[in-house]
Amino acid sequence: MCKFSRFAIRKLGRGGTDMPGRIALKICPDLLGRLAKDVTTVIVTGTNGKTTTSRMIEQAMTDSGISFFANKTGANLLSGVTAEFAANSGTLSGKCRYPYALIEADEAAFKAISTFVDAKTVVVTNVFRDQLDRYGEVTHTLDNIRIGISHSPNAVLCLNADDSLSGSLAGEVENPVIFYGVNTPIYEKRVEEVSDAPYCIKCKHEYVYDYVTYGHLGGYHCPHCGYGRPEPQVAVSQVRSSDAEQSQITFRLDGTEYPAVVNLPGGYNIYNAASCMAAGKAMGLNAATVAESLSRFQCGFGRMEKFDINGTSVRMILIKNPAGCNQVLNFLSNASGHAVFVACLNDRAQDGRDISWIWDVDFEKLLDMGEKLDAIYVSGVRADDMALRFKYAGIPPEKIFIEKDYVALMEKVTAQPQPVYVMPTYTAMLDLRDKISRTYGFKEYWEA
Amino acid sequence: MELKICHLYPDILNLYGDRGNVTCLKKRLEWRGIDCTVEGISIGQKLDASQYDLFFIGGGQDFEQEVLLEDLRGDKSLQIKSAIEDEKPFLAICGGYQILGSYYKTWDGQQCDFIGALDLYTIGHKDRMIGNYMYTCDDLEGQTVVGFENHSGKTYLGSGVRPIGRVLSGFGNNGEDGFEGARYKNVYATYSHGCLLPKNPAIADMLLRWALERKYPNVSLAALDDTLEHGAHSYMEARLRAAQNH
Repeated sequence: MCKFSRFAIRKLGRGGTDMPGRIALKICPDLLGRLAKDVTTVIVTGTNGKTTTSRMIEQAMTDSGISFFANKTGANLLSGVTAEFAANSGTLSGKCRYPYALIEADEAAFKAISTFVDAKTVVVTNVFRDQLDRYGEVTHTLDNIRIGISHSPNAVLCLNADDSLSGSLAGEVENPVIFYGVNTPIYEKRVEEVSDAPYCIKCKHEYVYDYVTYGHLGGYHCPHCGYGRPEPQVAVSQVRSSDAEQSQITFRLDGTEYPAVVNLPGGYNIYNAASCMAAGKAMGLNAATVAESLSRFQCGFGRMEKFDINGTSVRMILIKNPAGCNQVLNFLSNASGHAVFVACLNDRAQDGRDISWIWDVDFEKLLDMGEKLDAIYVSGVRADDMALRFKYAGIPPEKIFIEKDYVALMEKVTAQPQPVYVMPTYTAMLDLRDKISRTYGFKEYWEA
Repeated sequence: MELKICHLYPDILNLYGDRGNVTCLKKRLEWRGIDCTVEGISIGQKLDASQYDLFFIGGGQDFEQEVLLEDLRGDKSLQIKSAIEDEKPFLAICGGYQILGSYYKTWDGQQCDFIGALDLYTIGHKDRMIGNYMYTCDDLEGQTVVGFENHSGKTYLGSGVRPIGRVLSGFGNNGEDGFEGARYKNVYATYSHGCLLPKNPAIADMLLRWALERKYPNVSLAALDDTLEHGAHSYMEARLRAAQNH
């Protein structure tokens, strides 16, 4: 049933990665539990970096010779995960064709998914303030993840040592924990950010930091109650270089150093790589193999995805909350050459209906680029608000262009030779990708 | 000319875009050649209200609000109250709006006392009132204000304050009496969290005018090119009106 519905929706030409699961769940509420019963499952959850981390783990599993399937299309709610298990199971037997599954789980949906799926490894990337209308406050997100873990008694937990929020889960569950973290600052110059967690999660006194990597991540401790950053078993001991294409880093785990190249730029991808190394350790994979796989994984769609249109390089970078967007800006404002930016802001449910988060992003950082910033185009349902944000960031108004038509937008930005960086919110990315593939003939994401 | 803005608890009451309002005030002064400094006053820092011309207090997460109430007791409350009575302009949003009132009572009856600068109180509710909304502003005849509300507290006004205006779309103070916000002397308190001012430049200029006139009598604000501001405002106004007609 589930398979048929997905087949039908795909043929109708829409990216229906959620609908078939919803239909199947109506018919059989325990479907996921039955399908996932004998599958060794890795779950990746948290606010930012789920998709990229999953793609890294995917490459590591492939390179380790593991037979598995993954929910690659971003369908990370209960219904989408159910559909994914169904699609990878035998039609008559209902038995999964793979011994392993790699599942990216929305942080609010994790607690529901985990009532049916008994994960063996759970990776929590981080907890940041996200769409308030959807997820509520950060403590609420933490509670949801804690409940999900309580449904996963057999899982090894991989937690971010540098995140005072998600790291605090270690003290509250029985599961064995592998901490991962970055032992050094990453950026010379960082954006100005509002910390999502200035006060101790345990006793509400202000944290003291030895160093900050980005956001509220880094070497923190509470001088009042002593809660602080644990020593990570999987550590990035050195960031040797970080440029517009990649980062060269050194891992240290179990007393051995592993050099690695992360084939995506940006400090946040160093964290994603570290969480992948931790997942590899939890699964018992060879650390050298996992480190090696980081240099050639395929990034998830809209995560620094690169297109070549009319000879112009176009990179698509999904934005969804202040912390994630600030990290994109850390990367962009350190880029060396001229560039054109595009910001596409939608306010549908999956984007977050409240767009005021754009005022918490340090777009002022783009002023550092000076003359190298050729133009900023704004698009999407809330293009007018986005234009205002850039105006108040101090971008000269003559460099700000509103173009709500995606086809005209792509034509304009690729009519010049400088690299284009497109920052869309989730549904804007789907729309934009659809227009790009129709106009320029790139693959639809579910065919990838 | 110069205005000094006090941003109260910028590191705690910073929920979604609140600093956009401060950025907006600052830029609209700069563009007119008026100097502006912004100082943050947070936990453990003494507040000398006489140093500032305009105050901003935003909304925060519940977790952090407890930390703050402890700090507000005593001198800071007195400073805030005297600045308000002194007719200094205040922009208070969401949690900041509630804190200026008398108390907050949770839905299961626990009462938390606030500073009581304004004659109003808030009752917690199980369902949140979330969404884009629109209301009138009695101070700006014929104009609408558009914003985004996200609150579970229902606020009720006493006789000592008046509402900002009437809700045209959305919930407003409590979703019951049709009013939004509170006005008292030069306080503008509202549930329009996040970036209220950039899309409603008339409100920004009204606050600036109140602050400037106190300090420099007979001052006038030069007009600015607000094409982008009006574009964002009229987009949302049209969208909310279209939704109502459906």
